Amino acid sequence: MTVVRRGYEMLVVRRRGMVDVAVVGAGQTKYGQHSLGLKGMWAEAAQRAFSSIDGEFRPSEVDEAFIGSLAFGGSQLGNTAALLTEHSGLDSIPVRRVENACASSGFAFRDAWLAIKSGEADIVVAGGIEKMNDLTTERKRYWLGVSGDTEWERLAGLTFPGTYALMARRYFHEFDSTHDDLVHVSVKNHLHGSLNPLAHIQKEVDFEKAANGFMVADPLTLYDCCPTSDGASCVVLAADHVARRLTDTPVWVRGSGAASDHLALHDRPSITQLKATGKAAKKAYGMAGLSAHEIDLAEVHDCFTIAEVMATEDLGFAQRGEGGLFAREGRGRLNEGRTTINASGGLKAKGHPLGATGTGQVVEVFKQLRHEVDARRQVSDASVGLTHNVGGSGATCAVHIFGRDRQ
Amino acid sequence: MTAAVAMGYLIDHHADFTVVQSPFTFNGQRTYGADSDGTTLAVAALLHRLSHEPVPRVTVPEGMDGDVVHWATGVETYDGDDDAMAWELYLGDEAIVVLARHGADVELHALEVEVEVDPDFQNAITDAWVRELKETHVSQGAYVSRSQYEEAAASRLGLEGQKTTSAVIWPPRYSSSASSMSTRTRLAAKGSVQSWTTLSAAGAPSEFSIRAPILGGITTVFMHLDEGPSGVFLTVDDEENHLEFGQSMELVVRRVYAQEGFIRYGLKARAIE
Repeated sequence: MTVVRRGYEMLVVRRRGMVDVAVVGAGQTKYGQHSLGLKGMWAEAAQRAFSSIDGEFRPSEVDEAFIGSLAFGGSQLGNTAALLTEHSGLDSIPVRRVENACASSGFAFRDAWLAIKSGEADIVVAGGIEKMNDLTTERKRYWLGVSGDTEWERLAGLTFPGTYALMARRYFHEFDSTHDDLVHVSVKNHLHGSLNPLAHIQKEVDFEKAANGFMVADPLTLYDCCPTSDGASCVVLAADHVARRLTDTPVWVRGSGAASDHLALHDRPSITQLKATGKAAKKAYGMAGLSAHEIDLAEVHDCFTIAEVMATEDLGFAQRGEGGLFAREGRGRLNEGRTTINASGGLKAKGHPLGATGTGQVVEVFKQLRHEVDARRQVSDASVGLTHNVGGSGATCAVHIFGRDRQ
Repeated sequence: MTAAVAMGYLIDHHADFTVVQSPFTFNGQRTYGADSDGTTLAVAALLHRLSHEPVPRVTVPEGMDGDVVHWATGVETYDGDDDAMAWELYLGDEAIVVLARHGADVELHALEVEVEVDPDFQNAITDAWVRELKETHVSQGAYVSRSQYEEAAASRLGLEGQKTTSAVIWPPRYSSSASSMSTRTRLAAKGSVQSWTTLSAAGAPSEFSIRAPILGGITTVFMHLDEGPSGVFLTVDDEENHLEFGQSMELVVRRVYAQEGFIRYGLKARAIE
């Protein structure tokens, strides 16, 4: 341990990797169609995150910021991070936009965690934002397929509904599963979303309606697909020696794992699992010293219902090939199985503002582990949570594990 | 006269010439299918001829994309210069293409197969291509640029792959972790269906937004190619979408979409009967 003097403040610089990191504040906008633009949405999310910090906190204490965004849609701005942080009182600090498609802020969170672990920063902001509903339908469709291997997949007519539809059909072929299993996922996540005041879709859907939705990409119907959402999310991370000053109830980052895979679906040996998820999860579990059966709640990346089925396997909640059965038996429903899956409603109902999704998942786990959500949606005795954020059809993935306890 | 059917076209093969005709007719005349044109028929003519004998080079008439013919077949193409060594491509008034040895006498035979197309469909699809081909029909954002398209054209149209000591890779990589040593190789355009989906017109990429409603959506298959790699391809000549797991498919060159006045061609999957 080295003690250095900077101005009048005594700082403790610890050996690299020895610092524990906690989330001390988290907030988000409601997801959905927003009248606010980028600046307004970000300011709202940041304000909610900052005001969730119990102790005395000034934005000027933040050392660094990472903001995830695909820069989807009408804005398509460069230097977005500088623009946004200026509207949240984060002046003059190093900032940057992080882009890994739908996993942008999952990776922004990981970068923030690494910045503190490195010993270079004590308080770091990670967030994400996307404005998706300021485009014509035509332009929106153009954007919805840019995060795959565009040159090969898009020229074969694929956007992500098509890509995940290929996975779903193959999954049904390889395993004991049918579209009904996906309907169970949809019904569950709509139920959870109906309890979440920040969710894009706050309506329950019954089995029959979800099973007979408009066919988007055979076999996936409208009720298998997440909505196109605007939104922003923001979390504040702090080194252990600062965290206790900011809050009495920090949520500790117990494990972080990330991985990548072939961008194109057709380059992967299997299309019924996401290798990047498995690798990222293994790293995160190993770091946390935990296994899947010790996770109380998981916010998983259900951009399409088949993605949740595969994620429950790749993250170890179900055996390979039994993700459909897991859904059918309702094992992910709120407080009904060992692990509640997508208590927030997931991407399916809470919404999916691409760049905001990863840190939005952290917001949910933060509040659940502090037992701060509405009692109807609170996961009982939640003490360990997991977030799973996927870019594209699985080319990038970040998994984080959080605990009320530091170890 | 009965013609052979190959690559979705009627092939009339002779010693000194090959005639390729579209199977579709409209008002008593041969007409192109929904994603065919003179260029795609020319590719079929050359590939069929190449299965019998080498073709060192070929002259290409106005109205055909010589680069596409070259990328798809590997045959050198010229713009109609009189070359005694070259074969010659002719584009007929109807949907007919002739590939002939220089100076050969060509006889056109009436072929028996005629698939009468629905007039409404034919008019709609023809009009759609006209609209798509306008230079004002441009990308709405991130897109496959012409240089990006052409960089991979030999793989996109001719299925050029990469053979390493441990694997066959398609499309090729500039650098591969599989092996530092690799050779380029042309893969057989055959494989089997592993999965498929039909995107509704509303869910199709915007490149297909003009034609997808006319076609009733677009269908994509995920295929294992016979040499090992996999790929995703739009289907062709399968209005009923009768696809099955393991079904054998061949890959044929067709129009994919047009943008900025430029047609992008590619390989599409067709069921082997």
